Amino acid sequence: MNPLIPLMVIIPIACALILNLFHTKDRTVKIIAIIIAIILPSIPLFTNYGYHYFGGYAPLIENPALAQGLPVSITASALNVFHPAITYYFGSAQQIFMVVLGIIAFLAILTSLSETRKPSGVYAFLMFMGVASMSAIILTDDIFNLYVFFEIIAVTQVGIVVASKVKGNMETALKYMIIGSIASPLLLLGVALLLGVTGNVNITDIIYSIKTGLVNPQSPVLLMACGLIIFGWLYAAGLPPFHTIKSEIYSRALPHGAALLQAFSVFTLVAIGLIIIKIFAFFPFANVFIVGISVIAMILSITMALMQTDFKRIIGFLAVGELGYIGIGLGLGTAASITAGLFQAINEAIITAFLFIGFGTILYKTRESDIRKLGGIMVEMPKVTLLVLLSGLAMAGVPPLNAFQSKLMLIQSSLSAGVPELGIIMILLSIVTFMTFMKAFYAIYMRPKPSTLKIIDSNIPKATIFSLVVFLILCIILGLFPQIATSYLQPLANSLI
Amino acid sequence: MIIDPQLGSFFTAGALIIIGLFAALFIDNLIKKVIGLLFIADGVNLFIVTMGYKAGGIVYVFLPGMTVDWFAQNASYPLPFALVLTSIVIGASTLAVMLSLIIILYKKHGSIKASKILGEKGNQTQSKTPGDKI
Repeated sequence: MNPLIPLMVIIPIACALILNLFHTKDRTVKIIAIIIAIILPSIPLFTNYGYHYFGGYAPLIENPALAQGLPVSITASALNVFHPAITYYFGSAQQIFMVVLGIIAFLAILTSLSETRKPSGVYAFLMFMGVASMSAIILTDDIFNLYVFFEIIAVTQVGIVVASKVKGNMETALKYMIIGSIASPLLLLGVALLLGVTGNVNITDIIYSIKTGLVNPQSPVLLMACGLIIFGWLYAAGLPPFHTIKSEIYSRALPHGAALLQAFSVFTLVAIGLIIIKIFAFFPFANVFIVGISVIAMILSITMALMQTDFKRIIGFLAVGELGYIGIGLGLGTAASITAGLFQAINEAIITAFLFIGFGTILYKTRESDIRKLGGIMVEMPKVTLLVLLSGLAMAGVPPLNAFQSKLMLIQSSLSAGVPELGIIMILLSIVTFMTFMKAFYAIYMRPKPSTLKIIDSNIPKATIFSLVVFLILCIILGLFPQIATSYLQPLANSLI
Repeated sequence: MIIDPQLGSFFTAGALIIIGLFAALFIDNLIKKVIGLLFIADGVNLFIVTMGYKAGGIVYVFLPGMTVDWFAQNASYPLPFALVLTSIVIGASTLAVMLSLIIILYKKHGSIKASKILGEKGNQTQSKTPGDKI
């Protein structure tokens, strides 16, 4: 039992509630939000690996005091190893995910507080609630608990979009909620079917039941559960057919909100994707489906990004397209590919947040996101321009930045898995990503400034520059020393094989 | 003909989900769409509750005088009921958010037709300075 594990969820929830309480007091909101945002990435660094059982109910096999006096029919059966409590597991992979999530949350919150004239307690509340839900999704070993936080994060995402007050945000928020209200019950139905077949909602116990033959792995009910959970996964991650609404959600949020929203999508994709691989690995089509949908996501999203004229939509589609790389890594199913996929997830979360906050400076200076009406921004802010250019190069996978390493690992693992076609597709789509980025970059920064464009006479906040520099440092460090991340991810990847 | 209550309940849950999906996908009125979404959620909840049903079973409260073995054999399965309770609470919250959004959009567009509000034109009507205090 480790008491620090639940704190990673409890602290942001408590902070969110306090901020909501003080939402009219701007200075208090700012101070509390920044202090807690600094604490968020620090907690996982000081937490030991292990399990946390809510209520203290460890499995009977680890809890002899409780097992005493119970009949043999219980202690000699599988019930002896089942988890009676909601269980959170914190390992090395969870640690690095939590640290990266914490850093992105800190920088997004810092940027939002500095860029908004009067910080909103409600907006900060939503950001912290989202972080708390995401932390729970990363840590939980209970599929129903995952569903609960899946719902909370969906409402939080809608809240962040509504609170952004960007043109068309309400319509997009309602559309996202309606689609979510179809996807979430279907995910719950999948969870219910798993419960019906295995009698359990604990993921470790479900896998135990399937592997030890307590449950027939060929049961059609399991197949249906797999399909329904995959449907929920597609919605949460923003993979096709939900890629359009997901990119729309990003474009209707403020850049710092979008930076956090995309991190939620990336980590949800990984968390639920890993559960699908763990539970349904015995279905041969599961991995093929994950790879197939990932390739479709990459092709559709990156092609659609090419056609957009709003830079927020461009980044939104590129972000969804990059999710495909993660899916390919998970779907190939080898230890090397899963490690590469997880590494790509960390890189993508950092780079896309970097891009959103970087391009957000244009919105801050011009209130304009249509690239046809923009131009000449490089003259106005050359330092930020350089940072944004580097973020784009990082996304395209240019060395020595981080995505180069993860994409190279993915290509290598596709070759080792005997699917070189995937490697070729990944290389081609990286080139298209680079072209798409450069098209937007040229239009915004390098083209002569249109006479109609009004530039607001205020400097970019230092906190925003600080955030961009931190993201760049992370990109360079992970690009030069990828083993910092991969050494944390390998144990999880090896355990899945 | 008397249908087994559990089987009947499963069929009802299935019917609710299908009717709800139809309403959510094909009805243009946003309120009716939301009612359809509620049907889906309620259908799933009914499905889960039905899984916990045990013909001739007892309520899952361990009373003095009962043995563990006897209780394990006769009590209905409590986990689905606990899950449904949570699911209902979540459903109520998402319903509240959806209805609030519909009220705001109705005031803005003067209609609750999804084709009008959620179509391309609907998305282009609001313009406020980004980042204003809420």
